Amino acid sequence: MKQGLEKKRLKEDLSKKILSNFKKNKFIFTDLDLLIDTNLLTERSGEQFKKFTLTYKDLFGKEISLRPDLTVSTALKYIQEKKNKEEKYCYYGSAYRLDKEGDLKVFDQIGCEIINSNSDKSENILINSILEPLKKIKKLEVILGDVGLFKVLVESLELPSRWKLRLVKNFSRKEYFEDMLKRLETNYDLDQKAIKLDTKRLQDLEKLDPNEIIGGRTVSEIIKRFNKKIKDPRDSYKGKKNVNIIRDFLNINTSIQKAESAILFFFSKNKLNNLSIKSYLKKISRINKEIGKKYSINFKTNFGRNTDYYTGIVFLACVKKNSKIIELARGGEYNGLLRTLGYKKNISAIGGAINLNELINL
Amino acid sequence: MSKIKIGLPSKGRLKDESLAFLKSKNLEVMNSFGERNYFFNIKNNSEIDGVFLHAREIIERINDGTLDIGISGLDLLKELPDVYSQNVKIFKKLNFGFADLVVAIPKDWLDVQNMADLEEVSFEFREKYGRRMRVATKYPNLTESFFLSKGVSQFRVVPSLGATESYPFTGSSELITDITSTGSTLKANNLRIINDGTILKSSACIFVSKKIANSKFLNFLK
Repeated sequence: MKQGLEKKRLKEDLSKKILSNFKKNKFIFTDLDLLIDTNLLTERSGEQFKKFTLTYKDLFGKEISLRPDLTVSTALKYIQEKKNKEEKYCYYGSAYRLDKEGDLKVFDQIGCEIINSNSDKSENILINSILEPLKKIKKLEVILGDVGLFKVLVESLELPSRWKLRLVKNFSRKEYFEDMLKRLETNYDLDQKAIKLDTKRLQDLEKLDPNEIIGGRTVSEIIKRFNKKIKDPRDSYKGKKNVNIIRDFLNINTSIQKAESAILFFFSKNKLNNLSIKSYLKKISRINKEIGKKYSINFKTNFGRNTDYYTGIVFLACVKKNSKIIELARGGEYNGLLRTLGYKKNISAIGGAINLNELINL
Repeated sequence: MSKIKIGLPSKGRLKDESLAFLKSKNLEVMNSFGERNYFFNIKNNSEIDGVFLHAREIIERINDGTLDIGISGLDLLKELPDVYSQNVKIFKKLNFGFADLVVAIPKDWLDVQNMADLEEVSFEFREKYGRRMRVATKYPNLTESFFLSKGVSQFRVVPSLGATESYPFTGSSELITDITSTGSTLKANNLRIINDGTILKSSACIFVSKKIANSKFLNFLK
């Protein structure tokens, strides 16, 4: 274990080398804000966000958070600087997160991001740039996933739209997602007794002005959703079948070379509509061609779920040490993040960061 | 040996029932310093000093060591950060002060029967109005944990000091969580409890400080 000054020096040397490598790949170094308006983040991720960020109020009562990761800070920078073309940023700094016990953990990260690119090469450029400084590490393993594929799978299942929405929205929350699967495969989700009573009350509601507001929602909104819900019940047999398909899908774990055929086989075996997976498979195939031979890459459908802003390709570089997995770098595509932070539309974005604290301890 | 310090609720039904409970254990509260004085003694017992306090204050004072024993509501302890439960122990759940902390919505929200519906509506609400649903409550911590455990993440807590039931109809929140024993106040205010929306079943409890957990006096309260 390296100590104090030696560690610091090593970190500085490493960061210089990595940054110069990023710059060679035309990434531009940027200084990122340390503090983030908490409201921006809770509006995007919901209240659970505050559980793992160090948040305080300024003199005017405004809530401010120490940046929990550098991707969000980079995205905010792009918005604040009113950019509208492709930008390639690189950075070096710390991210601050609270662990389950409420203790502050500091992660020194060095990373790069490509925002608003139309090129189909951007994921390869990004993943290559992040993996390049790690390539000499013995027994380096790379895990690749694509969280967008799960959305395609859910869309192809015979499920009420409210369940599709629920499954996709909660994909990143593993425990709750598991609860939902259990509910989906067992219980009928409509209370028939209550519906009978409510159908009577519906007649009274229909007499009201459709634009009248009840608890922040319009009468028409309530009636529309009620009618949609009772006309779109969930079949318990199909529920069970769908849960089996979802679980099987999340078990796909293969080398990147076999990923395309494994996914196609899965969709055809389960007689699912596979029209919209082509663009996803093309992307996996491009990554395979470019870096599949340079690294040992496994494709896992269950990987990359912990970060709720990832929308597509996700990756992790790690090594196993005494049966423990040491995460050296991770990243992914986040095509919806900028809009939720205030940008006018959805734009493509991909980023990744190397965990310097782990890297110097190797 | 120093005296044992007891805190009792200073008003309302919780005070009356606490006094009756102590009397049933032959511990009769005496207002030796006058009716309006907050300090009391126990008849024929010189081991005890007592004080009437706000129910929430009782738990705070046991936690900081000012009180040894107190009667208050379970809901009030559970709302406080976990660190309180390390210092303030539940000695006994009492047979009064029953109340549930529940999620209540406007009764005309026919399409919302359970928390799963609320989860979905909260996403739709955010998409449509560009902001999160607001939940008015006097229990922000319990509310937050419960909503997150049920998958509802698109909400914002609006702290309320009282008359919480009015919030959805004054534009201050869309729904509420509140403590209720019969549900009649919620009903009178056009609110309805969600099917699986019980956050906590509460009752009055005897709370004791960790440091007196082995005191013989506690045998009187069993």
